[in-house]
Amino acid sequence: MTRGGIRFDGVTVAYGDTVVLDSLDLTVETGEVMALLGPSGSGKTTALRAVAGFVRPTAGRVLIGGQDVTGLPPYKRGIGMVVQQYALFPHLRVDANVAFGLKARKAPRGEIAGRVAEALEMTGMTAYAKRYPRELSGGQQQRVAIARALAVRPGVLLLDEPLSALDAQLRSGMLTELAKLHRDLPDVSMLYVTHDQSEALTLADRIAVMDRARLQDCGTPRELYRSPGSAFTASFVGSANLLTGVWCGTDVVEVAPDLRIRVREGAADGPREGDVTVCVRPHLVGLGEPDGSGLNVVRGAVTGLQWRGSSHRVTVAVAEGCEVTAEVGELRVPPGLGERVALHFACEDAVPVGVPGA
Amino acid sequence: MLWVVPPLAVLALTFLYPLTLVVRQADGYGEVFRQASFRDALWNTVVIAVGATAGALLLGFVLALVIAFVPFPGAKSLSRFIDIFLAFPSFLITLALLFVYGSRGMANGLWTDVTGNGTGPFDFLHTPWGVLLAEVTYFTPLVMRPLLAAFSQVETAQMEAAASLGARAPRIVRQVILPEALPALAAGGSLVLVMCLNEFGIVLFTGAKGVTTLPTLIYGKAILDGDYTGACVVAVVNVLLSAALYGLYRLLVARVTKGGARRAGA
Amino acid sequence: MLVHSRWARRAVQAVFFLLFLPVFALPFLVVLAASFATDWSGALPSGLTVTHYQDIAQGDSLTALTTSLVTALAASLIALAVGTWAALAAERLPRRVRRVVDALFMLPVAVPSVVVGLSLLVAFSEPPLLLNGTREIVVIAHTVLVTAFAHQSVTAALTRLDPAYEQSAASLGARPSYVLWRVKLPLLLPSLTAAAGLCFALSMGELSATMMLYPPDWLPLPVKIFGTTDRGALFAGAALAVVLMVATLAVLLGVSRIRTRASYR
Repeated sequence: MTRGGIRFDGVTVAYGDTVVLDSLDLTVETGEVMALLGPSGSGKTTALRAVAGFVRPTAGRVLIGGQDVTGLPPYKRGIGMVVQQYALFPHLRVDANVAFGLKARKAPRGEIAGRVAEALEMTGMTAYAKRYPRELSGGQQQRVAIARALAVRPGVLLLDEPLSALDAQLRSGMLTELAKLHRDLPDVSMLYVTHDQSEALTLADRIAVMDRARLQDCGTPRELYRSPGSAFTASFVGSANLLTGVWCGTDVVEVAPDLRIRVREGAADGPREGDVTVCVRPHLVGLGEPDGSGLNVVRGAVTGLQWRGSSHRVTVAVAEGCEVTAEVGELRVPPGLGERVALHFACEDAVPVGVPGA
Repeated sequence: MLWVVPPLAVLALTFLYPLTLVVRQADGYGEVFRQASFRDALWNTVVIAVGATAGALLLGFVLALVIAFVPFPGAKSLSRFIDIFLAFPSFLITLALLFVYGSRGMANGLWTDVTGNGTGPFDFLHTPWGVLLAEVTYFTPLVMRPLLAAFSQVETAQMEAAASLGARAPRIVRQVILPEALPALAAGGSLVLVMCLNEFGIVLFTGAKGVTTLPTLIYGKAILDGDYTGACVVAVVNVLLSAALYGLYRLLVARVTKGGARRAGA
Repeated sequence: MLVHSRWARRAVQAVFFLLFLPVFALPFLVVLAASFATDWSGALPSGLTVTHYQDIAQGDSLTALTTSLVTALAASLIALAVGTWAALAAERLPRRVRRVVDALFMLPVAVPSVVVGLSLLVAFSEPPLLLNGTREIVVIAHTVLVTAFAHQSVTAALTRLDPAYEQSAASLGARPSYVLWRVKLPLLLPSLTAAAGLCFALSMGELSATMMLYPPDWLPLPVKIFGTTDRGALFAGAALAVVLMVATLAVLLGVSRIRTRASYR
């Protein structure tokens, strides 16, 4: 029996005329961490709640472990869920919170204590078993929430913005621990909803990028980062220079009348004609005249300069209405505003990401 | 869906069904309407209720304003006191007023002590004024409660901004606090109005001979005269009056608050 | 801060106490003072005595007190059960239906208590449900009157209750009934006890409907107080009123102790 795995099969959720999730097709493999990444209102939380059973799809099916659960109430779905505000039961001690799911599912009495201990051990909360939730810090509460979800040994773990209530430092620590949990539980599929790209990039095996109720893109973090499938993905996963232009050759794009750049060679990204948006990652852009040949070189006046400690961000107006930002290591002598400079980047790093406005 | 049926059935049997019977048994409206006692009671009820509501709104607003914005030690326990005050029956207020303003009471006693006269000047308890005073006293906390909740929503930053722009206290009250308080005033006021229309204990304890209102008239007709049909007629009038005034008040208030919101949005 | 200068603040506070104390605190103080007196013809009561309380301890006033306590206990418990049930059930209904149900349960607040009493008299004065002249009809009237408050406070508490608790419980595999008993009701407990306290207090002081309905052998304290003062025995009535207030306060205090113990956050 395949316990894990989630499949969205054309799942649509609408309230009246408002479509909040538009025919989502997505498969999370057993043992995979899938991040649903998107801005608020993109439908990512709705997708997670459809798996949990709190939202009933208007159309389509949700499958967990190969079984159609679309019509099942939440308590029959065999999931674990962790939400942003933890939702620990305030009237129960930590151990009772963790035991809640086991008792609700009528686990054998003798087994409960052991599994509670195991879940607390896994999240490092054994010492806090007799405390009440209000006596714990935010990070500790979140660990208990995870322990509570894991105690029932779900095939699927749903995480809804689990770290967004924590401060930055705690968040990175929890990310490391979630990654470790993932290694310890190789059979558990995790659906991780977040609006934070760094969480998604760190933790996920694959990322599904959502925007305006639709799935925009799906792939491994590396794929999405290196070859974003859309301008939206490019700007949402990492930062991006987005240059709009017109194809004038199989791998040449005219960005401005006197500015042509050579882009990555033909991938299967559709016909190379008409309008196009090209993505160039700022950290792949170099400042100054290039050493070698075969690079794109653009020149212009510096319009912006940001010092970010270990790096500088230099923004240059390379053509009318077109700016390129380079992120380079900290400069000893940064250029002044208005100074003319050259920027360069490899053709390989200029990625066509589709038609503007699409 | 079906779970709501049992409590609804209980409500229907003990409240809705009896109420419809009252409506059905009411007969001879014309005759009752012609009675002077009925017209007196109707007039008394409305005038006292409107007056008491206005008084309670004014007093409640001032008191809540001070509690919320001019803090002093013990202000917290005051709101607890208000809760307890509301849990006590209304007739206690009339009883207390008898000892304060009654013919044998504190105020008149003080007067005779000071002036040496045989009787004091305070003799309004058995008039509508006595009822009015008692109702204002009793129902003011009902206005204060939603007001205090609303005032706690007024942002200090907003008031400080207004003050930094040179606005003085009365202006801040008018332009910052009052708009925030309008819905609460409306809610409190409408509740007090209905409560006053329906008040029985205060009027009964005042000495029923002097002042009759619709509720005491119902009591008199049904229990003292055994005239159930007449009592039902008055009851229908009282219920309709409460419902109508309540509805009218909400309507007015909705208009006022909407106008306020529009002004704020412009 | 609305009033900045210290002098102005003092002035506002003085005006406040000038309004607040006489209007709200004085009533309780004079009733308390009067309950220990036989006469009040000067500025202060005179003829200090405890005979009013001795009379209460011996006479049928004690019966009136127990009558009130029993009635209030029964009415508030039934009201709490019905009101909570209705609030919980209404939560699952479609919005429009829920509004109607909520309005129906709030209706007894808008209807004069005297009319509630009258309607019960009219409805239950003949077979098959001949309740006129029984104790039960008093309890029913009180229940009808206080159910609205129970329903209202539980509904308010339910809307404040974060749905994440219920959903987390469901995601952990808890059936709705399990969620109700193990999560919702425990979390609602502070509001439930508060509602019970309020219902109890309101029922203890209920006079209007009771005056319409009480049988001779079931005479609650407020009716007794009215009878006493109506006879002109104002000072004995004051003592009874103090007993009523103290009993109500004691119950409210007890309930608030449960409440603080039951509130988790």
